[in-house]
Amino acid sequence: MKTYDILGYSFSAIKLRKLRAALTTLGVIIGIAAIVALLSITQGLQVSITNDLNRGLSSSTLIVVPGSNALGAVGGGVGGGLGGGRAARGTGTGSINLGGSGAASSGFVLYDNYTSQIDALSPLITSSMAVIERAGYVNADGLNSSSTIYGVDFSQYTGQYPTTFIAASGTIPTNPSNNDIVVGTRVNDPRENGTTLFSAGDNVGIVWTNATTLQIVNETYTAHVSGVLQKVGGFGFGGPSDTGVYMPLSQAESFFGTNQVDYIIVQLKNSDNATITTVSKLITDHFDGQVTVISSTAVLSLLSTIFGTIQLFLGGIAAISLLVAGIGIMNIMIVSLIERTREIGILKALGMKSRTVLSIFLGESAIIGLMGALLGILLGWILANITARLLASGAFGGTGFKVTPLLTPEVFVGSLAFGIGISVIFALYPAWRASKLKPVEALRYE
Amino acid sequence: MTTLLEAVDLKKTYMLGKVPVEAVRGVNMKVEAGDFVSILGPSGSGKSTMLNLIGALDKPTSGKLLIDGVDISKLNDNQLTDLRRRIGFVFQFFNLIPRLTALGNVELAMSIADVGKFERRQRAAKLLETVGLKDRINHKPAELSGGQQQRVAIARALANNPKFLLLDEPTGNIDSKTAAEVIGLLKKLNIENHVSIIMVTHDQHLAREANRTLQMFDGMLTSEVVNQQ
Repeated sequence: MKTYDILGYSFSAIKLRKLRAALTTLGVIIGIAAIVALLSITQGLQVSITNDLNRGLSSSTLIVVPGSNALGAVGGGVGGGLGGGRAARGTGTGSINLGGSGAASSGFVLYDNYTSQIDALSPLITSSMAVIERAGYVNADGLNSSSTIYGVDFSQYTGQYPTTFIAASGTIPTNPSNNDIVVGTRVNDPRENGTTLFSAGDNVGIVWTNATTLQIVNETYTAHVSGVLQKVGGFGFGGPSDTGVYMPLSQAESFFGTNQVDYIIVQLKNSDNATITTVSKLITDHFDGQVTVISSTAVLSLLSTIFGTIQLFLGGIAAISLLVAGIGIMNIMIVSLIERTREIGILKALGMKSRTVLSIFLGESAIIGLMGALLGILLGWILANITARLLASGAFGGTGFKVTPLLTPEVFVGSLAFGIGISVIFALYPAWRASKLKPVEALRYE
Repeated sequence: MTTLLEAVDLKKTYMLGKVPVEAVRGVNMKVEAGDFVSILGPSGSGKSTMLNLIGALDKPTSGKLLIDGVDISKLNDNQLTDLRRRIGFVFQFFNLIPRLTALGNVELAMSIADVGKFERRQRAAKLLETVGLKDRINHKPAELSGGQQQRVAIARALANNPKFLLLDEPTGNIDSKTAAEVIGLLKKLNIENHVSIIMVTHDQHLAREANRTLQMFDGMLTSEVVNQQ
């Protein structure tokens, strides 16, 4: 019998019992929809986080943090960012102050003058700069705006992040005086609704809670806002942040009373893997392994590992529902086999081969699997987009978090194959039993 | 004349639970092309077993059964299936596929034998015309009378130009008037279209419509009568 005729016959059997077929298909639809919705949301999330990271971490940049296992902390930061992107942005903890915990455990700290040591290590290094990072807030007319305070070299920082460290109003001074600061847009407009606390050119109070002294004191000084940055967006991971307050490094050192720095950003001449690996090793060796060198490649590969695990986990849960659908298919096929015993007898008496009987039954389940998978992908895609909209509207808390669901060809083809595969696999046994029926006995069946 | 069917000391024993039942106990018979033979016997005489053997649905325990020159005891399941396409089976209960139309049922037999879509549609329509159902081809079995259903079954049996028609109580399930029509059709097919027919029945009147009647009793053929038409 020709394949076309087999499928036609299978389809006529499905059409006969529409409700039953629809319910069986529904099982597949739900399973596939769950897989597609979860995977396209997480993949969309991965893409948006990766893009944020790429914006912050240029691929020709290394970040040196104290401590030998600081990269694990990056994982924590990224993972935490997943669940509460809003929280990560709000406090600035999503950015790189991750070395802090590493430093505490190893006792090793970085100093501002290590930049000259790093610069001398290799001709592959263009320059390096030290960054101090503390939580604090800005006080303007009695209103506080919580932020992260960074001590940086303005001209180096501008060179490092030429696309994001740009003033929307005012200027970024190349030769700043000690009380010049540059702030991120959300420091000025915390609710992002246009209600600004101050303008470029105003004087504001900078407050830092010093807990290192016996008595906890709020250190404060009055700074002059030279410029307000353009909106950066994203997590501000490693690069300029919308909640950042930037002051000259020397001012930060005297304000915080330290010449320890939190991390050193190293600019490389090239962005190829060989350069990154060579320089990373040179720096690690120079500090006897007491620092961790974070490169964009390392962070991205860690990120992709984390997302791989999350997707496997979520996909696995969704796959269980498809397994249930498969059992439903098997159940219904066995019922159908018993109901159609006589029909199978007739077909065999007419000269139909066992192989063809097998194909007819497998054809029925393949059609159910195909329809279920296609409708499931459609439903999953709709669900993913609804979820993304809810996320963006802030229905799950916060001011919203933009994710564009991503349906990759791999997920599309994969779920199609999975839906059909599961259906066919669970139909194998009933189909095999049908094909093995003896015509004499099948014809006698009432 | 070519021999269509030849049985030599044909035996069939099957197990009813743990008890062996000798259903067919050494049958010898021969059917030539163009013949119309009936096998007559009461229930339990082994005629259903004979039917299954002649229809290549079952294999003999011993002896030889040559169908179109092939000994079916030497065939595997696949080859038996192929052989069945050359036999036109007509069942007592019609055994049409309920969801298919008359045309669809006749076409199904052809699609099993890999006949192309266009050819089988034409041939099926022609066969239904031959059995007198020209204006019923798009009706489903439930919309047809018993006699009409049996005629669809006969058209289906003829679908693949079989060597012979094999009928199992063809009028057992229809009223006598319709039965007469079906018998008339069978005779017409036999005389005008030279279709060979083997018919298994317990109905003496029906059996007498054939050219020859083989009487079966206790698994053996006991007599042969040439019927005067």
